[in-house]
Amino acid sequence: MGNLDDLTQKIREKAKSLLKSGQVEVVIGYRAGTVPLVAAPFFARSPEDCDNLIWSSFARLNLANYLPNRAGKVALVAKGCDARSAVGQVTENQFPRENLYLLGVPCAGLIDPARVAAKEPRPIQSATESDEAITITGAGFSQEIKKAEVLRRNCQTCAHRTPTVSNELTGPETPNAPPDDFSDLKDLLAKTPAERLAYFKDLIKDCLRCYACRNACPLCYCPICFVDETRPQWLGKSTDPMDTMTFHLLRGLHCAGRCTACGTCETACPVNIKVREFNRVLDKSVQENWAYEPGLTWDQKPPLTIYQPNDPADFIK
Amino acid sequence: MSDYLVSEKTLAGFFTALATGRRLLAPQGQGDDCRLAETTGPVSLDYANTHLSPKGVFFPQTEKILAFHKLADKPKANQYQDLGDQAQPTVIFGLRPCDARGLTVSNRVFQNDRFTDPYWKGKYESAIKIGLACLNPSPQCFCAAMGGSPFGEMGLDVLAYPKDQGLGLKALTPAGEEILKKAQAEPADLAADMAALEKKAIQSQGSLDDYATINERKIMELYKADHWAKTAEPCLGCGVCTFFCPTCHCFDIQDEQNEVGGVRMRNWDTCMSPLFTLHGSGHNPRPSKVERVRQRFMHKLKYIPLKQDGVRGCTGCGRCVVMCPANIDIRSVAAVMAQASA
Repeated sequence: MGNLDDLTQKIREKAKSLLKSGQVEVVIGYRAGTVPLVAAPFFARSPEDCDNLIWSSFARLNLANYLPNRAGKVALVAKGCDARSAVGQVTENQFPRENLYLLGVPCAGLIDPARVAAKEPRPIQSATESDEAITITGAGFSQEIKKAEVLRRNCQTCAHRTPTVSNELTGPETPNAPPDDFSDLKDLLAKTPAERLAYFKDLIKDCLRCYACRNACPLCYCPICFVDETRPQWLGKSTDPMDTMTFHLLRGLHCAGRCTACGTCETACPVNIKVREFNRVLDKSVQENWAYEPGLTWDQKPPLTIYQPNDPADFIK
Repeated sequence: MSDYLVSEKTLAGFFTALATGRRLLAPQGQGDDCRLAETTGPVSLDYANTHLSPKGVFFPQTEKILAFHKLADKPKANQYQDLGDQAQPTVIFGLRPCDARGLTVSNRVFQNDRFTDPYWKGKYESAIKIGLACLNPSPQCFCAAMGGSPFGEMGLDVLAYPKDQGLGLKALTPAGEEILKKAQAEPADLAADMAALEKKAIQSQGSLDDYATINERKIMELYKADHWAKTAEPCLGCGVCTFFCPTCHCFDIQDEQNEVGGVRMRNWDTCMSPLFTLHGSGHNPRPSKVERVRQRFMHKLKYIPLKQDGVRGCTGCGRCVVMCPANIDIRSVAAVMAQASA
């Protein structure tokens, strides 16, 4: 039995015992998706429900997104980035720590369907996975692809695959990837401001303003997003490029120093925008200025939400 | 109406003829990059479907409908002027039958015995719609389960299909017949060929679930069923389903102005957003995603069929199935609705 099956078994067993003992009211995890390469969010409320829970390298949506405004005790099936997001929500007072049970899953990186499509553009009917590879099948073909070749960008540079904070781990720790050195941003950061603006304009040219990135993001828990406010209305509703850019820039800034690089925004985006590019520039800045990574412990606050006398920036003193 | 053939040799000339005197829109690109775009050919016949539905051709995501200026010394200052339907002579080649059927659903919303929307009407009626039948429906397609067919003819002037490196074409309207004659397509008899290919294509969609009991159930029985909270729970409320749906047609009217003038426009809206139903009073009749998700599926699978002679608001194009970040699959929801007891 492979590690994936072990993790699935362990998640089911633990979920059942948490529900049976009344320790939690719901276990939020993943079920098998109805389309290939997708694991879907699933809310288990009874021991019978728990047999639908799985672990999979298709589990891209960040489940911490379902925590804010939820009453009652919750167990969250959490890979490294999801656990960090949940910790972030607790430290930002969006969810009470005593209501949260983190069922930590040591993650080995998740699959990027776009990279799979780049290797095999024909329509895929089904996909299965082993610990090391996925097998995709379509009309008249079946192909095995090594997972390492089709991991998501953020998973290739994830330094916290195993949750740093959890109530319990479902398996042995997984080896981390070499941390993000932001080397791919070098060209972008060398550009003039005008060139950078052109780069970001091009990046979001297909944006439909569906706000799937925002709605999938565990950081975006505002009761009313600034783009949806009507009295006053801050932003136009059309496909005007300036309004679209304003949304992305403001969302990026709101998330500065809080993003755990979970990639759920890019998973949700229906037009394949590299939404995370906005945040990565800011993440780099936050890491350089405050040596801060969000969601690693219960007692740290995002640097842009606090002030300390030893702040390295001069303008604030 | 007759059938026609375009051979491999005459295919390029056929598309040039289509594009003469009007713009030709046809799918360009592959996979997630496949979109309707202006071309004079060549046209790829090897695509599953356009990433976005074709509704934007007739119902753009943002459409300026009125405009005014503030120049007091010029005539008609500060008065809205109609910008017209902004239609241009168009032929669309390569509409999939699911999408053509979907456009007829919106057409009956925008043009009926009570209302005529001039902006939709001008663009929709001036476009000649040539469909391309699906010989190999995608794994996520389910048009037949929703009452359509990979060779469906609804909403089309011509139905084409790839044949011997060229095209087989069936004229469905006088406008369709005329354009085929002008493009010098060769008369042919394709009925038997098309019937056999249609049967094969429907079979390739696998076992079809039967959602017919939804039609028989009363509205309130479906509405009050106890699954909605569970069905809606994973929903992120993003509205990707509505943006990609070929039949979703709801819009929001907005006015924008600056120092020299302003416009009134309509923009795609989405019933998945709380803002969609928020009243000026602050009251919201669909306060949570449970009501919103219920509305979307009831609209697609119950209200629209009731108002449109049984034609569903879902045509089985599969876009929302593939695109929903939370994998809320309309096939699963329809199956639950078909079974659910009040």
